[in-house]
Amino acid sequence: MAQTYENTDEILAARRAYNDTLAQAHDARRATWFPLLIVALLMLVPALQFVGNYNYVIHLMLYTLMYVTMAAGWNILGGYTGYISLGHSVFFAVGGYFAGMIFARLGISTIIMAPVAGLVCAALGYLIGLITLRVRGPSFIISSLALVMIFRILFEKWQFIGGAAGLSLPINDLSVQWAKLPYYYAFLAMAVFGVWASYRVRHSKFGLGLRAISKDEVKAESAGIDTRRYKVLAFAMSAFLFGAAGAVWGEYLTYVRPNIFIHILYFSVWPALMCILGGKGTIAGPVVGAVLIVAFNEFFVATLGSSTIHILVTGMIMALTLMFFPLGLVGTLAKHRRLPRILNWD
Amino acid sequence: MLEVKNLCKYFGGIHAVEDCSFKVEKGSITALIGPNGAGKTTAFNCISRTMVPTKGEVWLDGERIDRLRPHKITAKGLSRTFQISRNLADMTVLENVICQSRINGWRDLFKPAMSPQEIDKAMGILDFLNITRIAYEDGSNLSYGQKKLMDLAALLMSDPKIILLDEPAGGVNPTLLEEIVGHIRKLNEQGMTVLIVEHNMELIMRLSQRVVVMAAGTVIAEGSPEEVQKDPAVLDAYLGGAMEDAA
Ligand SMILES: Nc1ncnc2c1ncn2[C@@H]1O[C@H](COP(=O)(O)OP(=O)(O)OP(=O)(O)O)[C@@H](O)[C@H]1O
Ligand SMILES: [Mg+2]
Repeated sequence: MAQTYENTDEILAARRAYNDTLAQAHDARRATWFPLLIVALLMLVPALQFVGNYNYVIHLMLYTLMYVTMAAGWNILGGYTGYISLGHSVFFAVGGYFAGMIFARLGISTIIMAPVAGLVCAALGYLIGLITLRVRGPSFIISSLALVMIFRILFEKWQFIGGAAGLSLPINDLSVQWAKLPYYYAFLAMAVFGVWASYRVRHSKFGLGLRAISKDEVKAESAGIDTRRYKVLAFAMSAFLFGAAGAVWGEYLTYVRPNIFIHILYFSVWPALMCILGGKGTIAGPVVGAVLIVAFNEFFVATLGSSTIHILVTGMIMALTLMFFPLGLVGTLAKHRRLPRILNWD
Repeated sequence: MLEVKNLCKYFGGIHAVEDCSFKVEKGSITALIGPNGAGKTTAFNCISRTMVPTKGEVWLDGERIDRLRPHKITAKGLSRTFQISRNLADMTVLENVICQSRINGWRDLFKPAMSPQEIDKAMGILDFLNITRIAYEDGSNLSYGQKKLMDLAALLMSDPKIILLDEPAGGVNPTLLEEIVGHIRKLNEQGMTVLIVEHNMELIMRLSQRVVVMAAGTVIAEGSPEEVQKDPAVLDAYLGGAMEDAA
């Protein structure tokens, strides 16, 4: 009998030790310095232009930063709230067109108008969300796809904003060497804002409510959470980031065109995939996902040519990664407590 | 305090709740009993508006609440647990509990998810229920009984005036059952009004002052536990089984 007692003591001790590790994991300090360091380095990247022509590098970084902005925005709705949208390219396009029109007519730079374009998209997202967020799961995904089709037709038929041909925008008068810089810094600022915003949301009552909604909406409601308001607000926030990104992208490309801006693969699916690959609901996930997908894509375009093969290969790598990291890279590693400190931004 | 008037809930042809009326007095422990499928859970769902009632009224402290959305009802001080625990996976027990704390308006939304005061309060509740040791456990990793206790903890976080418990001790072991009974009694002594659904008659007899008996969606008897137990209509509803065994 004494034997048994000893055993129970052991079991209880093991249990206590386990509880302590749980509490510790909870207290683990995040590595805030790492993202700050990256931002500092990114601010210095354009200095490369003093020693040669690194326009391509700057373009790639700018492109990645734009995706970081969008993936972080998508994360607020898709990651925290659990509503998978494949229609966010609509907000990217609305932001692009709104700021593009103002730029073409009044000459106000899209970089200045980006926050306003974001707000316009947030308002639009709020209204759309009031309707589409009533259903969840597959029905919501379909409704988001329907949104893309509706807006695509709207943009193509509306002659005031250039119809299917779109609008061309003035080219800035900086020398080729420095022409990309304003956009580079604009996207850097947006990416930082996006990641910061998703961090703030994650650690607020709002974020806790969103996570509750993603797990069990009925329970969240009965817990006293105004689910409708929370969801719509999350939708508006993510639309804001897409709109702001779209605004500056238009001026950078020097044109806005429906088939480019409402491109479902590039501006709806990719941000979603980046977030899922990196880890939905984590802070670092969308960043990691954006970097990886842009890098893979660029690598395969370079090696396999710009056919559709690179999309196929990128897709296959994604599928494989998700087989081994079902919660995304950051999410899965964090769950198994294998996440390198530097990627713990939660 | 809580008054249900002519509540009806139809699922197509199924009249799950039909013209159901009863009252819960302030400060009491009222039991809602009835055979399986009597419509008790559905009545709870309609009161907390997890489901929209087909007809009827629900009044809380002289205020009609059956048109309010669920979170508003919770804000008015009515909280409920679910018969089958619904807890939030990938969130710690602490987060599960704090999730249920009150939020007043827009400004609260961007406050820290868990303030030190809230953590203290939540830990206090977990301590009251003797489950502080699972505070950092994932909400979905709990045992059945622990889930029931966590539900109760989360419920208390919202500072309710009246709590609706749907089989809080269903399927738990006798020791835990005693514990839960103790907790409910203690809460009631502190002034909490309780409406409880329970199949364990012996427990009902000990705990509650008033019993409302439902069968086939309506209230068939109401009164003290002793009165109800002798009521022929009640015995009939239970097919003479459970009630006699328990008595
Ligand atoms: N969502 C639903 N759709 C259709 N019918 C339902 C639904 N929910 C409940 N019912 C029906 O309503 C009736 C009452 O169910 P309810 O769950 O309220 O019973 P209960 O009294 O809680 O029973 P138990 O003691 O077994 O928990 C049952 O006949 C059930 O089949
Ligand atoms: Mg029931």
